Amino acid sequence: MVKYAAQRILLMLMTLLIITAMCFVLVRMLPPVELPLNDPHTQVIEARREAQGYNKPYIVQFGIFLKNVFTKWDWGVSDKLYLGQDVADIFMQKLPATMVVNLYSIILSIPIGIALGIFAALKKNTWIDHTISTLTMLCISVPSFVYAFLIQYFLSFKLGWFPFLMKAGTDYFSWSMFYSMVPVILSLSFGVIAGFTRTTRAELTEVLTSEFMLLARTKGLTRAQATVRHALKNCMVVILPSIFGEFIGILGGALIIEKIFAVPGVGNLYINSINARDYPMFMMLTVFYTTISLAASIVVDISYGFIDPRIRMGSKK
Amino acid sequence: MKKIIALLLTLTMITTAAVSCGDKGTKVDNPLDFSKSYVYKDAVGTLATNWSPHTYQVDTDNYLTPYIRVGLYDFIFNDALNPVEGKEPFAGYKIVPEMAADFPVDVTEKVKAEHPEFNIPESATNGYAYTIKLNEKACWDDGTPINADTYVYSMKRLLDPELLNYRATDYYTGTIIIANAENYANAGRSIVKSNAADGSTMDYEFADFKKGADGVYTTPDGSGKVYFGVTVANAYISASLADYSPYFPEGAFEVLQKAANEDGYCPVTDETIEALRSFITSDIWGNEPEEYLGLYAFYDITYPEMDFSNVGIMKNSDYEITLVFGKSLAGFNLYYALTSNWIVKEDLYEANLKKDGDAWFSTYNTSVETTSSYGPYKLVSYQKDKSLRLERNENWYGYSDGKHIYTDPVDGEIYAMYQTSAIDCQVVDEASTRKMMFLSGQLMGYGLQPDDYASYRNSEYVHATPGTTVFFFIFNGYMDAIKNREANKDFDQTKYDLETMTLNSFRRAVAVTYDKELFATTVSPSRSGGYGLIGTSYIYDPDTGARYRDTEQAKQVLCDFYSVDTSKFATLDDAVDSITGYDPVTAKEYYKQAFDEAIAAGYITDNDGDGKSDQIVRIEYSLGEDDDFMTTTINYLNEKMNDVTAGTPFEDRVQFVKAGPYGNDWSTHLKAGTADTSLAGWNGSTLDPFSLTDLYTNPSYQYDANWFNASAQTLELEVNVAPIGEAADMQKIKMNLSQWSQALNGATVTVGGKDYNFGDGMTDVDTRLTILAGVEGAILNTYDYIPVLQDGSMALLSQQVYYVIDEYNPIIGRGGIAYLKYNYDETEWAEYVAANGGELKY
Repeated sequence: MVKYAAQRILLMLMTLLIITAMCFVLVRMLPPVELPLNDPHTQVIEARREAQGYNKPYIVQFGIFLKNVFTKWDWGVSDKLYLGQDVADIFMQKLPATMVVNLYSIILSIPIGIALGIFAALKKNTWIDHTISTLTMLCISVPSFVYAFLIQYFLSFKLGWFPFLMKAGTDYFSWSMFYSMVPVILSLSFGVIAGFTRTTRAELTEVLTSEFMLLARTKGLTRAQATVRHALKNCMVVILPSIFGEFIGILGGALIIEKIFAVPGVGNLYINSINARDYPMFMMLTVFYTTISLAASIVVDISYGFIDPRIRMGSKK
Repeated sequence: MKKIIALLLTLTMITTAAVSCGDKGTKVDNPLDFSKSYVYKDAVGTLATNWSPHTYQVDTDNYLTPYIRVGLYDFIFNDALNPVEGKEPFAGYKIVPEMAADFPVDVTEKVKAEHPEFNIPESATNGYAYTIKLNEKACWDDGTPINADTYVYSMKRLLDPELLNYRATDYYTGTIIIANAENYANAGRSIVKSNAADGSTMDYEFADFKKGADGVYTTPDGSGKVYFGVTVANAYISASLADYSPYFPEGAFEVLQKAANEDGYCPVTDETIEALRSFITSDIWGNEPEEYLGLYAFYDITYPEMDFSNVGIMKNSDYEITLVFGKSLAGFNLYYALTSNWIVKEDLYEANLKKDGDAWFSTYNTSVETTSSYGPYKLVSYQKDKSLRLERNENWYGYSDGKHIYTDPVDGEIYAMYQTSAIDCQVVDEASTRKMMFLSGQLMGYGLQPDDYASYRNSEYVHATPGTTVFFFIFNGYMDAIKNREANKDFDQTKYDLETMTLNSFRRAVAVTYDKELFATTVSPSRSGGYGLIGTSYIYDPDTGARYRDTEQAKQVLCDFYSVDTSKFATLDDAVDSITGYDPVTAKEYYKQAFDEAIAAGYITDNDGDGKSDQIVRIEYSLGEDDDFMTTTINYLNEKMNDVTAGTPFEDRVQFVKAGPYGNDWSTHLKAGTADTSLAGWNGSTLDPFSLTDLYTNPSYQYDANWFNASAQTLELEVNVAPIGEAADMQKIKMNLSQWSQALNGATVTVGGKDYNFGDGMTDVDTRLTILAGVEGAILNTYDYIPVLQDGSMALLSQQVYYVIDEYNPIIGRGGIAYLKYNYDETEWAEYVAANGGELKY
């Protein structure tokens, strides 16, 4: 297992380097954002590009970038979106808001989703199962921003129960902040709940009809005991990795939901950095998200071995 | 404890305000009530990220400027306290010193004699240097005084050649040019500079370039090589020569291309001169004179090292500076330029400079900690991409100098400006969210969206703000392109026709087919009907705020174009008011005439002899993108066309169809004649309607350059040719439209052996208006452009507040935050909203 993990990590680092190099070169190959003709600032911008080293060969620029990151942990300063400000600082200022709303959403969604899935599986082919399945399909099919508008319209505007927008400030774990985040959390949760419900129901339905479940019942376990001790445990091989995936996804943000509720998160940072040709910002985000994605895939793969001891990683047979 | 401090502070401010007002002898009937909370609740789509006056790049970053900064001069409404001679109260504005203590004193002669380093022209007697006394009460929000050193230091840092500040160019390329600022800001740098950076004024005449020993031409002093931009855009043609390569004589462009370096410049040699000359003097390019080669030229320039003492800003004393300009600046333009301020707080500025590689970055004015205010408000909280809050800056001189007061036009009482105690601004991206928040009393304003007009257009709380653009339909007249399209095998000439739309009679018919106000209401309710080429916002005299569209000349143009018999009306205003642009009876007559002409010309047929066209006149509408607005527009055009052509030979025989979408190339298709119409418009500086003539007479800009040659269209006008100050000398002069436009915009034009220049300051304004109206009328009569919409926007204003002066002024809008008055304070407002069920009716 250790050898397998080490191999994967080395491979991950190599992949990260290749992706980083590709992104670095490709984004710099994009033509600079054009200024209107006769714009006197063109001269200043050209001079700034020269001073920032953007006219040097790409390989030299990439070398400087790597050197700064490895020797000074310096990811550069934003030269467009947040002119002059350290890109790592900006990202770290904005990341908590995204993480907190997504975290609350997952904490709410996972138990509800799994519980509904179990309930539907146990009541398979009854009106309860049909109702849950229909609602699940509805929630998965409708984009989350639709819920966002509905929640904002009914709960915030018509009923006045919640504020329209997430509260300003960084007191993310205060009651007033949580209260202002409720519409965001609800909007983000419907889809996640539906996803877990569907997965749990599908897996559990299959497991409940297995022969070992029959054996468990014949050896005297109650239905609840058999379900919790044997069926659910088997389902987790599929459900747990998707829970990991959801937790990793909280770092990515939700572009439209963040816009609707004015969440000061990282949702649109990536797209904006590409559109504005903000190279330092783009590179920092690229490296961050690539690292997270690659690490996540390793964690998920390794987690299989812990969840189900029958699964062995890296063995030749 | 906090409450006690707040109470003491409030009492101090009230006392100070009262005492100060008393000092000036003006009794303020309604001083600011510092005990009450009046919060202006605003929403933006994008929050400012960098509001440093030296580095900000986009308008959204300028959000804080009106609150935390004040210019040397400012504009306020004229009222009983601030009357302007010759103007009705509340109908105009007045310029007042703010960070300056008094109006500037012209010291051109003195500075010219004592400071030759500023190169003030020998002939100049005024407009180049001013001494300005500074407001001694001005200070930063922490009480640090602002004095002459602040201004000099800030300008030095702004122009610092190492810092490469984005806003440095504001002080050497625009209206205000500080003497030697450009040389200092670029000191030590080598660049390739356009010989005509503004597209018209040449740094060097082409004939002055010298041929070097290697055959390459250089600048007159031999310091830099001269080039033509091959793939580099030049301002004169708003494009690169490569963009026009198909129009070059055979082999000519290849000569330039072969000589070009990797940056896209080719050295000027006899060979490249001949290649470019053969192009610009060709018929297809409008037979430009050879001297125009200079407009296509670039040259190497290396700015020498320079000391800041050579830059045109000098400290005379602690509270007096002298500004020296590289180009004369006076009157309105001087004050307008000085409404902006460049000062920064030295300690904060220095502490927030950072070098990254060879480039300097500044984080000054990017957070609360890095921001210091010297305006009426100060920044107290800021969260990136989320929100900011400004509160009263208790150290601002304006709260206690007794000058920031006004007379209310309704009750005649005197009020203190800036009743708003705080400004809360948050990012609200979605219009639907903004609307709900507005209706819940949580925002002060809401810009109407297309779906809102039916509900709110007539609300008593709605305010219309005119835009500068007039949108017009362009009609294809490029016969060569049309014939090519008709010759295409896919084009069925038995069913469709493209040529009829080029007939003047047909276009005249179209021009009166559409009720412009109804069109505006249907497709774009925030806009109104557009009738002339120049919109209603354009001001020809900034000193008085007088608008071009209100002049006799401009009104007469509209009456002539729309065939209004002015003798039937008591006044010209009445005649203009009668214009709707919609005359179905006349339209039918013109359609009939167009049919006869089209049959005679062989454009269409009537083989079955039913008196109707056998072909459908197909008008392809060039789309940028295909959306609901375009669908509504085209449906409307077809529906009303069918109504008006009923009973004519073109009944159901004129059809607008979508072409594209072409993205940004929609205008290219129009110009090339591969599409036939589109809704387009130009805008320019609100204070300079005269420059708009260039857009309709210069082939570089004209949509109709391929079928309308402004140089071949003559216009005779009777104008005053005597210089300003001399007795009028009215003469009838005949020039082509291009020459009229050039002369109107400051170029000297020679006609019949005489030189004419009708630029700003060269002749009386009445003459300039006559020329402007003459050119506008001549362009309208081509019927290449049919005006339909006057741009504008509408917004609802909260019931919590109202504007002291409701009418929109193009210079100062509705007075901004200084003139905003409150019907309710925050406590009362919350009660009012609750009493209305939490949802207000507008």
